[in-house]
Amino acid sequence: MFSVQTTNSSKRLSRPLVVAVIIIVLILVASSMLPIIFFTWLWDRLNIFATVFLGIFVEAVPYLLLGTLASGLVEMFLDRDQMSRWISHRPIPAAVTGALMGMVFPVCECGVVPLTRRLFHKGLPLSAGVAFLLAAPVLNPIVILSTAAAFGWKAMLLWRVGLSLVIAVVVGLVFSVEKDASNVLRPVLDMAHDHHHEESKSFVEKIRAAFVITADEFFEMGRYLIVGALLAAGLQTFIPQSALLTIGSGPVLSVLVMLGLAILLSICSTVDAFVALGFVGTFSFGSVLSFLVFGPMVDIKSIIMYAQVFKKRSVAYLVLIPFVMSLLSGIIFNYLSP
Amino acid sequence: MKNFSTLDKTASAVILFCTALIGLVVFLGTQAGVRVKANLPERGLIGPYQVVTLIFSESVDPQMAESLFDIQPKIDGTFRWADSQTMQFASLQPFELGTAYKLTLRSGLLSQNDHELKTDQSWEMHVREPEIAYLKSGDGQSGVWTMSLNNTNPPRQLTDPSLKVIDFDASRDGEFVIFIVQNQAGGIDLWRATRDGVSSILLDCGLDRCTSPSISPDGTRVAYSREIAGPSIDLPYGSPRIWMLDMSEAKDGPVYQDQQVLGYHPQWSPDGMQLASYDGLADQIRLLNVDSGQQFIFQSQTGGPMTWSPDGTKFLFTDVEQSEGGVRTRVRMADLTINKTFTLTGSEDDMDYGYNSLAWSPEDDESVLLGMRAGGDDPSQVFWLFNPGRLDGVIVAGQPEYAYTSPHWDVWGGAFVFQQFKLKGPYKPEIGLWKQGSAEPLVVGEGLMPRWLP
Repeated sequence: MFSVQTTNSSKRLSRPLVVAVIIIVLILVASSMLPIIFFTWLWDRLNIFATVFLGIFVEAVPYLLLGTLASGLVEMFLDRDQMSRWISHRPIPAAVTGALMGMVFPVCECGVVPLTRRLFHKGLPLSAGVAFLLAAPVLNPIVILSTAAAFGWKAMLLWRVGLSLVIAVVVGLVFSVEKDASNVLRPVLDMAHDHHHEESKSFVEKIRAAFVITADEFFEMGRYLIVGALLAAGLQTFIPQSALLTIGSGPVLSVLVMLGLAILLSICSTVDAFVALGFVGTFSFGSVLSFLVFGPMVDIKSIIMYAQVFKKRSVAYLVLIPFVMSLLSGIIFNYLSP
Repeated sequence: MKNFSTLDKTASAVILFCTALIGLVVFLGTQAGVRVKANLPERGLIGPYQVVTLIFSESVDPQMAESLFDIQPKIDGTFRWADSQTMQFASLQPFELGTAYKLTLRSGLLSQNDHELKTDQSWEMHVREPEIAYLKSGDGQSGVWTMSLNNTNPPRQLTDPSLKVIDFDASRDGEFVIFIVQNQAGGIDLWRATRDGVSSILLDCGLDRCTSPSISPDGTRVAYSREIAGPSIDLPYGSPRIWMLDMSEAKDGPVYQDQQVLGYHPQWSPDGMQLASYDGLADQIRLLNVDSGQQFIFQSQTGGPMTWSPDGTKFLFTDVEQSEGGVRTRVRMADLTINKTFTLTGSEDDMDYGYNSLAWSPEDDESVLLGMRAGGDDPSQVFWLFNPGRLDGVIVAGQPEYAYTSPHWDVWGGAFVFQQFKLKGPYKPEIGLWKQGSAEPLVVGEGLMPRWLP
């Protein structure tokens, strides 16, 4: 009996090893049959991949840090009673207030996710939190100034801010119909802190605790940022922009291409206006505007991060409603002003 | 339906509603036909060589679109397509000052799949009053300024006041100037300033000196002279060579690959096909057809000036020769249609008139401005409006004790601006203006290097 078990165990160990060896041998054989130019191409692609990944990651990390820091400070200095006093629980005022809160917090789409999660934990109504999540990456002062630097204090900036606000409020109102937040939000571990225990802490202790929370959350959300950035870099490497740009003409297709680019490029909203400026001339006003409105709300890395806070269906709505609304507004602009 | 929550239903309803709206907008948009907008300056005030841009709401057939295009009064021009939605019309002659142009795109089919422009679209255009751009120096500053001819607006500075401008050139359409500024490393960079006065660096030349910018007539390229810095600070600069910056494609490089070919003061032919430059080492004017690469070489010991005929088939340059009476500056004409060069005037002169400025009218084959010495022992210089066909002319600017240089015709050939200095008294560079039909030129202001900013 004993010897049989040993034999089975050795079989279990050897199979994966054999499979691995076979795979390696097959790869080596296949590689030897491939022309050298393939490896040059692959090396170039990997270089591009690494550059794009680092570009997205390095650009986003400071804002993630800022967001998690804000989250830590909110946890330690804001209590549920204050939140209830400040934010109405009626859907429309809550959604509008949530969207306008974005003007206070200098967070882009990476930093806003942990902060929103923390605010939910502090009792922020669902409609306000969702509106804040979608509006903050555009309505924050840094993004407004960078958009003004790229496009001037003109129509593009006004429409970007206005449409982002409208879409964020609409999505917030949609989520307001859900009375039980647990149907929308994923359960979060290690968020429960003793309210009374926080009250008894000194200011220095609170700051120290805020930093601890910041660090924990930064590393937690940072993993998803890395996954998102890897995915975005992979897609950018193997689906070049030029492929999308060549099909991007016409009032509908050009908006779809720009929405696709917004997801694909995953650029931080603080700098996306300068990238969008490069598309002016090639793409219509409506197409570029849809890129600027939709990009900060939804891209690959933010989808991955949303999935850590919201349940799957909710993530789908957070992506689809801004998508159709951005598409609609882009098409309307294209038809009104080619 | 049990599995669908209120949120699911509401979200789905919003998505469906938006999708239906998208369908409705697309349907209505398709019914409205192709839309088009003209990319014109404010109030339809255009430059005389304004490129008129029409942007369509979707891809159109170039031939069909061009067949629907009309400008009244008629003016010849060529079409370019930036992409399948962007049509550009570049006129071959300048739009006339004081004429109202009506640009119309007539209704009709614009693509093979029956997409059409439902109604005629029209736009009005007027040519704006040309201005004079010039260099104004003083108090340690030097910038490009512009003044209106009828004093409707006060002079305004085009370039950033913090930049000390050395030289500049204005584009033929009047939309921008290219100027040069010394950088902190000791090199000289190329900068660009728009007509609205927004300055931005165009080419950081590092330690090199990029000078004598010359903008191509279509405004897409800048030819300039570049002296490469020595390997260390104490070593001298290399000899100047002609480089070209293609602004539309962001490409920059030497015009001649042969490093022995030197050059400065590049000058474009009116059609932008040929580029002339002077090689001071070989005492040659070198002419390059930028499309075909064909080159012509003309001997000249003066290093300039040179000027092109309106059609770009001939050009004038100066040279010196030793004659029985002594050294004579002569004006020579190169006729590119017959590949011949001959002396137009100067060889038979009773004295050396030292021809120092040449400017062929852009519209009149028979009007060339020659800057020359007044004669005798008089150090004054005059402008002679010379007819190369009849070999005679009239003095149009010749006040005693004045020197006149650097004439530039406006695009219509009806006026020219120039630099004038009083030979006695304090240094005061003045800008002069001569208009066809006027007996005397006018002084319009103080400044250096006047150019038209149409």
